[in-house]
Amino acid sequence: MRSSSYAPTAPGRRTTRAVLVLALTAAMAATLPAAQAATPTATATADSEAVAGVAGVAAKPYMGWSSWSMQSSKYPGLNPDGDYSYLTEKNVLKQADALAAKLKPYGYEYVNLDAGWWRDQDWTPQFDQYARQKADLGRFPRGMKAVADHIHGKGLKAGIYLPVGLEKEAYGDGKIPIWNADDCTTADIVHGDLRTTNGWDSAYKLDYSNPCAQKYVDSQARLFADWGYDFLKLDGVGPGSGKSGDQYDNVADVAAWQRAIAATGRPIHLEISWSLDIGRVADWKKHSNGWRIDTDVECYCNTLVSWENSVDDRWDDAPGWTRHAGPGGWNDLDSLDVGNGQMDGLTKAERQSYATLWAIAKSPLYTGDDLTRLDSYGLSLLTNREVIALNQGGTPPARPVTPSDPQQVWAARNTDGSYTVALFNLADAPAAVTADWATLGFTGKAAVRDLWNHENLGTYRNKVTQALPAHGSRLFTVTPRGGALATTGYEAESSANTLSGNASVADCSACSEGRKVGNLYLGGTLRFNDVVVDRAGTYQVKVAYVSGDARSVDVSANGNGATRHKLPSTGDWGTAETVSVPVSLKAGANTITFDSGSGYAPDIDRIDVPKSS
Amino acid sequence: MDSSPTEPSRRRLLSLAAAAGVATALGGLPAFTATAAPQRPANAPLSQGSSRDQLWWQAPADEHSMIEQGLPVGNGRLGALASNDPGRELLLITDATMWTGGLNDTLDADGQFPYGREDFGSFTLLGRLTVDIPDHDLSAVSGYRRTLDLAQGLVTTSYVRSGVTYRRQIFASRPDDAIVLHFTQSGGGRYTGSIALDGTHGETTRRTQSFGAAFPNGLRYGAAMTAYGSGGSVTVNGPRIDFAGCKDLTVVVSGGTNYAPDAVTHYRDPSLDPERLARTKVRDAATHSADTLLRTHAADHRALFEQLEISLGTSSAGQRSLDTWERIRARARDGEPDPELEAAYLQFGRYLMISGSRGSLPLNLQGLWLDGNDPDWMGDYHTDINIQMNYWMADRAGLSRCFDALTDYCLAQLPSWTALTRSLFNDPRNRYRNSTGKIAGWTVAISTNIHGGNGWWWHPAGNAWLCTTLWEHYEFTRSRSHLTRIYPLLKGACEFWEARLITTTLPGSSEEVLIADSDWSPEHGPLDAKGITYAQELVWALFDNYRAASAELKKDTAYAATIAGLQKRLYLPKVSPKTGWLEEWMSPNNLGETTHRHLSPLVGLFPGDRIRPDASTPPEIVEGATALLTARGMESFGWANAWRSLCWARLKNADKAYQLIVNNLRPSTGGGNGTAPNLFDIYQVEQGRGIFQIDANFGTPAAMIEMLLYSRPGHLELLPALPDAWAKSGSVTGVGARGGFVVDLRWRDGKPTEARIRSVGGRTTTVAYGDRSRTVTLKPGASVTLRDFAR
Repeated sequence: MRSSSYAPTAPGRRTTRAVLVLALTAAMAATLPAAQAATPTATATADSEAVAGVAGVAAKPYMGWSSWSMQSSKYPGLNPDGDYSYLTEKNVLKQADALAAKLKPYGYEYVNLDAGWWRDQDWTPQFDQYARQKADLGRFPRGMKAVADHIHGKGLKAGIYLPVGLEKEAYGDGKIPIWNADDCTTADIVHGDLRTTNGWDSAYKLDYSNPCAQKYVDSQARLFADWGYDFLKLDGVGPGSGKSGDQYDNVADVAAWQRAIAATGRPIHLEISWSLDIGRVADWKKHSNGWRIDTDVECYCNTLVSWENSVDDRWDDAPGWTRHAGPGGWNDLDSLDVGNGQMDGLTKAERQSYATLWAIAKSPLYTGDDLTRLDSYGLSLLTNREVIALNQGGTPPARPVTPSDPQQVWAARNTDGSYTVALFNLADAPAAVTADWATLGFTGKAAVRDLWNHENLGTYRNKVTQALPAHGSRLFTVTPRGGALATTGYEAESSANTLSGNASVADCSACSEGRKVGNLYLGGTLRFNDVVVDRAGTYQVKVAYVSGDARSVDVSANGNGATRHKLPSTGDWGTAETVSVPVSLKAGANTITFDSGSGYAPDIDRIDVPKSS
Repeated sequence: MDSSPTEPSRRRLLSLAAAAGVATALGGLPAFTATAAPQRPANAPLSQGSSRDQLWWQAPADEHSMIEQGLPVGNGRLGALASNDPGRELLLITDATMWTGGLNDTLDADGQFPYGREDFGSFTLLGRLTVDIPDHDLSAVSGYRRTLDLAQGLVTTSYVRSGVTYRRQIFASRPDDAIVLHFTQSGGGRYTGSIALDGTHGETTRRTQSFGAAFPNGLRYGAAMTAYGSGGSVTVNGPRIDFAGCKDLTVVVSGGTNYAPDAVTHYRDPSLDPERLARTKVRDAATHSADTLLRTHAADHRALFEQLEISLGTSSAGQRSLDTWERIRARARDGEPDPELEAAYLQFGRYLMISGSRGSLPLNLQGLWLDGNDPDWMGDYHTDINIQMNYWMADRAGLSRCFDALTDYCLAQLPSWTALTRSLFNDPRNRYRNSTGKIAGWTVAISTNIHGGNGWWWHPAGNAWLCTTLWEHYEFTRSRSHLTRIYPLLKGACEFWEARLITTTLPGSSEEVLIADSDWSPEHGPLDAKGITYAQELVWALFDNYRAASAELKKDTAYAATIAGLQKRLYLPKVSPKTGWLEEWMSPNNLGETTHRHLSPLVGLFPGDRIRPDASTPPEIVEGATALLTARGMESFGWANAWRSLCWARLKNADKAYQLIVNNLRPSTGGGNGTAPNLFDIYQVEQGRGIFQIDANFGTPAAMIEMLLYSRPGHLELLPALPDAWAKSGSVTGVGARGGFVVDLRWRDGKPTEARIRSVGGRTTTVAYGDRSRTVTLKPGASVTLRDFAR
């Protein structure tokens, strides 16, 4: 087991949590048929016992500020001395002061420096005599410790940054000694062929078969601990960061950093970046406290970000990761740049949606805004205590309960029986979005609280519909007053169904009754025959499916017109998830067809049809 | 090249007008003018209205998708699309006469007309009004809903913000000649924000909250606003109006141009200052409460709307629970008839007609509504189907009064059309010129503008189609004054064709016939075909109508005899032995696109009725027409589907007629053909780009009515093409019938149970259902109720 390597700070942490998850799932199963667990069950409770061993590191999604959004932007005036020049002691401390004054009371605590602290304004890197990154005195005249000290003086935590590997310029012909490692030089820590690594190929890949490599990482960690840093973003990590293959497999680096941090005795949060390969999520969970699931949110344009480039990617990319988030390690959606509409390059509606997704996905909440220039709306978004409580509290992360259509609903079942429900309209025009209680697994009345507006909206029967602006959202807590939804299940693999094209039954350990229907592609169809309901109406049919990537499928009833739905990724081909799709049924027997059309559709496990619409 | 002056002289126009006998048209209704104080109905109740006449949505319009999502209002001349966004109400305001361009009388090198926004001109926006209420951001309100009450002509928006219910009404009043926005609330709420009225052509709004300017063509225009409220402050802030803490707020906006429907004054009223008049209008309206303005408006609107009521059956509770857009999508997805939605679609067409065709210019390609200043095809008048289709519904659907805008327009243009025809049509470069060398009367191009001008290609048969359309209005109404007014148009068109027809000998026979000179069958196939069916049929109908008009008015008896002689010799189309279709080009070959959108060679089936599925028409002609219609297919643009549906209704094929209506009700997505969220018909001009074209919004309802009642003078047929979807039970009141009757009809299980025939000028008619028929004779104003058809 890996616990030995993790022993100094987190003995058996993951194991403890896994047991807890199983226990809770079993408890749920006792009250609801397993197939009706429409929403993520409460697996991510703030089990303080489980995280106590790591001194609170990443017990909750971290909150704070990062320098990169402003560094990367062409917004007028931000980087007057060239690209990325915003990163200076003066600017960082100014932001730290603003964070302390405006946001600290709400839980924001980290002040994170991003790339470039060891590079001058021409981007020329500086290294110490041990091949470690060294503060550029142009940017940080007093060195890095002074920065951390100032941040700590405000009651905040300090974050620093490194690219993974040995930067090429630090190699020094292989002759640079490694600190505190007799006889080790830079030649000893990399591969003989000087193979490069990381998302930019800016570094030589470290070769951990030589203990000198770990010593080098230890030496960097020691330096950060001595300076007093509490957080490290390790960037360019693969597989991910746009790279794959052995050369870019940096799992060993992340593990080395985990060991090195542990060896310092200082609790340093280890965050890895970017677009990490979900196929290696077990490694990321094992060795880090958070992982960027996507590319940069920044647009590298005249604003900090833009909706299309690339805030809106997250709605498609987060669902596959959802179940991996929990105390100790979180899905990082990147900076939350909602504080100043003009600088952010977003509408109010987009800013609210941005903050809503980050909150319910339990992403770390770190803004990249200029905290000295927050507008009143931005401040209200960043300091909404109900929304922050949702992100920081014991509720599990939400995932979609409807397909990833332009109008979509995400939800999580909270431990108190209420639901966190977010409505999103990702279309370019206003639209009504409906959260149907049936998609949450209950029926009847429910009380609705609007978290952003701090209002109880009253009691709604069977559903709530709201008009949302383009790219808009609403965030509710829905407290059921009615009962559980009764459904009838139909297994995809049932011999009563009709398969066409290449569609075929396959084994699936994650699926109910162990099987599913797959090979739904290029015209392959699955038709459920004899789906019986008492009354005509529109039914929220819950579809259990497996799909390692987001895939679309045409759903129709009784040979009528089909509606194409994109089902979110389940993260891999061994996990089943559910979403509900509206289907119009007539009284009596119906057919429901899943048609791959001209593309590739998800594998279907089963459907559950409510007994009443 | 002709050396005629660029604009016909006043003297010449007057002489042409006199020659054409249209002096009565000159100095007709100005479009935007001072009017007497409106009649205010005492205690006019606001009707609760039937939910069947209400469309509703659960989201506002996107500012950038107004043509699909904005809700239209209009007082017949002055219109707007409203976004209904709580935080920012946006109105895109239009006036039917707001046109660039001019007479456009310099032909291109090919003898055809220029067709640009500067020369021919374009329909454009008058202005935009915004009412910003920052605290009512859509993300912060709940329970949003907006409703279009077709019966009262009223758009209502409601939502809740912090426990207060806010309500907003928008309507365009004809009596007060203004658009009114009325903001109210219940629960102690207040309105704070600002109002701005801006032009869209670079105008500067003045401190009088108004703007005014003139186009290079000399057309002056202007708009003005005012606002008043209670419980707070309403203050002028430069060109804007700010309001703060208001319990309620009323905004009034008006505007227009100095367009005048008079060729002699070059379509301008030089004495009219539109900005000043707009200021007067809003000031006058603002002396009344919003409630008074609404009651005045609703009474005016309802008087027309209530002329026709229709039920096509009962929808399910599930269907009723859906908003209009969900319902449109469900109708297409589930294939389940939604009779109330289908009836509401018809009533929406009537709503558009009441809102867009009164006291000013007729409805153009976009009716009265725009979302920008560059509408496709200039938002003009297309004379080869579109303007005609716009008015097929009016008489059938109890809106004969809305038809007058078309008549007024044609009469006002006639002197100019006549002058241009005489000076330009026989230009040697014009491929369509008369090979006889003669010229008389008038005709038009495919496009016409409001300045007496033409655009794009000459369209010789356009005159005949305009005339048959005007004639049908007479058939419906038996209005002698209308007949008197249109008579010069009919006669001028006959004169044109008298000069144009050429004699040919049919191959393999010695029979001499008259055929139309070189022409293009809209809008495909050879450009220079003689004797195209389209022209032959329309001219035949024109001659027929003219003879009847002459007889009725006892005018020009000798000339009518001449025309009768020509009509007898007109070639009429045969069925192609090759294709089995009614020929389109006097050729057995298919020279065009098989599934082309236009049904030009079937113009004798609909709107004409020379071709009838009864003993009056040789069976092979009916079969050839049916085969051609079948070949044209069931999938086309909205207006083309509507025309197909009308033809199938004439052929008594209920299933096909209905399917085409269903096709038009399909939701438009990604610019595809179909119905937009606001029920406007969308025409896909290219993949991914759809535009609004209003003709299907009238053509489709016309087809629905034609399925319920066929009429021609002296003959009515009940339920000729009743589809199964509407058969169970239904009723309609107020359907206009050719021959001068209005029919109320009830049916059950597919059969009529009661028909009330009321004469509005008609005398004797047969009333048939299936193979049963009876004859009724009525005095004008009298009525008879018939039962027991199904015995």
